[in-house]
Amino acid sequence: MPVVTADLKACQGYANCVMAAPDYFDLDDDGNVVMIKREFPESERSRVTEAARSCPVSALTVSE
Amino acid sequence: MTDQSGVLNDVRQGMIPAHIYNDKELFDLEKERLFSRSWLFVAHESEVPQAGDYVVRHVLEDSFIISRDEKGEVRALFNMCLHRGMQVCRAEMGNASHFRCPYHGWSYRNDGRLIGLPFHEEAFGGEEGFKKKGQTLLPAPSLGVYNGLIFISLDPNAEPLEDFLGDFKFYLDYYTKQSAGGIELRGPQRWRIKANWKIGAENFAGDMYHTPQTHASVVEIGLFREPKAEKRKDGTTYWAGNGGGTTYKLPEGSLEDRLRYVGYPDDMIERMKGQWSQAQLDVIGQDGFMISAASLFPNMSFVHNWPRVEEDSDDVHPFISIRQWQPISENETEVLSWFAVDKNATDEYKELSYKAYLMCFGSGGMFEQDDVENWVSLTNTAAGSMARRLLLNGRMGLLEDGGNVVEPLTNEQYSGPGSTRVGYSEYNQRELLTRWADHLERPIEAAAQLKVGMTAVRKTSKSGSASSCVAAEAPIDEAAETVLLGA
Ligand code: SF4
Ligand code: FES
Ligand SMILES: [Fe+2]
Repeated sequence: MPVVTADLKACQGYANCVMAAPDYFDLDDDGNVVMIKREFPESERSRVTEAARSCPVSALTVSE
Repeated sequence: MTDQSGVLNDVRQGMIPAHIYNDKELFDLEKERLFSRSWLFVAHESEVPQAGDYVVRHVLEDSFIISRDEKGEVRALFNMCLHRGMQVCRAEMGNASHFRCPYHGWSYRNDGRLIGLPFHEEAFGGEEGFKKKGQTLLPAPSLGVYNGLIFISLDPNAEPLEDFLGDFKFYLDYYTKQSAGGIELRGPQRWRIKANWKIGAENFAGDMYHTPQTHASVVEIGLFREPKAEKRKDGTTYWAGNGGGTTYKLPEGSLEDRLRYVGYPDDMIERMKGQWSQAQLDVIGQDGFMISAASLFPNMSFVHNWPRVEEDSDDVHPFISIRQWQPISENETEVLSWFAVDKNATDEYKELSYKAYLMCFGSGGMFEQDDVENWVSLTNTAAGSMARRLLLNGRMGLLEDGGNVVEPLTNEQYSGPGSTRVGYSEYNQRELLTRWADHLERPIEAAAQLKVGMTAVRKTSKSGSASSCVAAEAPIDEAAETVLLGA
């Protein structure tokens, strides 16, 4: 299954990913992204990819 | 600023300087001394039922996000980013775990806490440069809830909401607590009218006198059996706490007969009997009065009426509506109108009741159209120089020597609290305007300022008596205690 991963050093807490896919991403109290799940089914690909691409500092990567 | 003491004194005598319905200076004073202090309705809990639900509501120019946070608590957050002041939330309603400022991307949790601050280290030097922890969107200085109705006040020292409502709670329950489930709302519909906000509030508070004239055509077509002239004057006006309203006299019969007469089905009647106090039931069952319109100072109103909805049937269907007269300027008002219905009522009842509401009130309602024509014309006429020479007589019900045309009902005659009289009068309009005058007369204390991210909270008050809304470093839980007064 494809996975999405976060680079915690890069994350700046913009929360774009949280707005786009709140079932995959959350923010902790320090403003760092928290992954709710990493793996996603093929049917979710466009939504999760959109969420990853919405990150202004490219902290999220989708890989196979 | 012009000395308004003459105007305020006249108002207290029941004489109304006509220009108060279209006067820029008085409007500025209302903003400064009334709307910055009084309890104001913003939303109902049923509009934000789930964690993350929010609606955006205004108090004059101030925008507030009314949200339900993840713990289920209702918040009222000033909709302005702590960074450079952008509106954090630009939708009117929705569901969100976070609000993100569109300008530079600061993000806040739905309880107001600032959590995301891009390049905190690089740009601000981290916590040492700018303390992110404990920062929160500015909460409304006071927040209170009664029967799910959410009120805020911009005064951190506002009296508790329940004290403000006082005995009006007795009447509020008829509209908003017909069963343990309370009400649910639809709407609001919003539209603007070129009329001063006070006119609607006064009208709903006690103007039974206009019904036979203004709404004559509605009565003529036979959709209403109630607003006939001879019927309206048999009803009462009551004033209790900070609100008052009107009632209709019901025909003879038991409590059940009378509730059926206005169209309530038996299942709802049973729940009302389980919900209301004996005194609340006695106003209907024993004294024979049914609540109709009402206003709560300063700008919230209620309607309860029971028109015929289907042309081929004599059945009537009751409806309840809540509305707010949101001031835009001295001659313009935004009307917010909600349909309210008992949550535990059947779907069939809710639909018929909704139809009844749409027919009478709301932007296309028949009563609405009739009323607004008068109010717009009155507002226009009040702007000119001749209006400044005219003191309107708002003394209906009072004799010249100050005596009463009709005495209040005694405790034997009437079971409800407050002061209640049969027939036409303008006691309630005077009660509203007296409170209005009381506010306009009293200067406000300067409010505390919040310096975002800095330790000191500067007070602008010379006397030093104003208390801070929320100290900059207050941890969130402490802040919550400050805002959730009476919740
Ligand atoms: S969008 Fe990027 S920077 Fe913002 S929270 Fe998500 S991962 Fe972090
Ligand atoms: S104004 Fe909101 S982040 Fe800058
Ligand atoms: Fe009317």
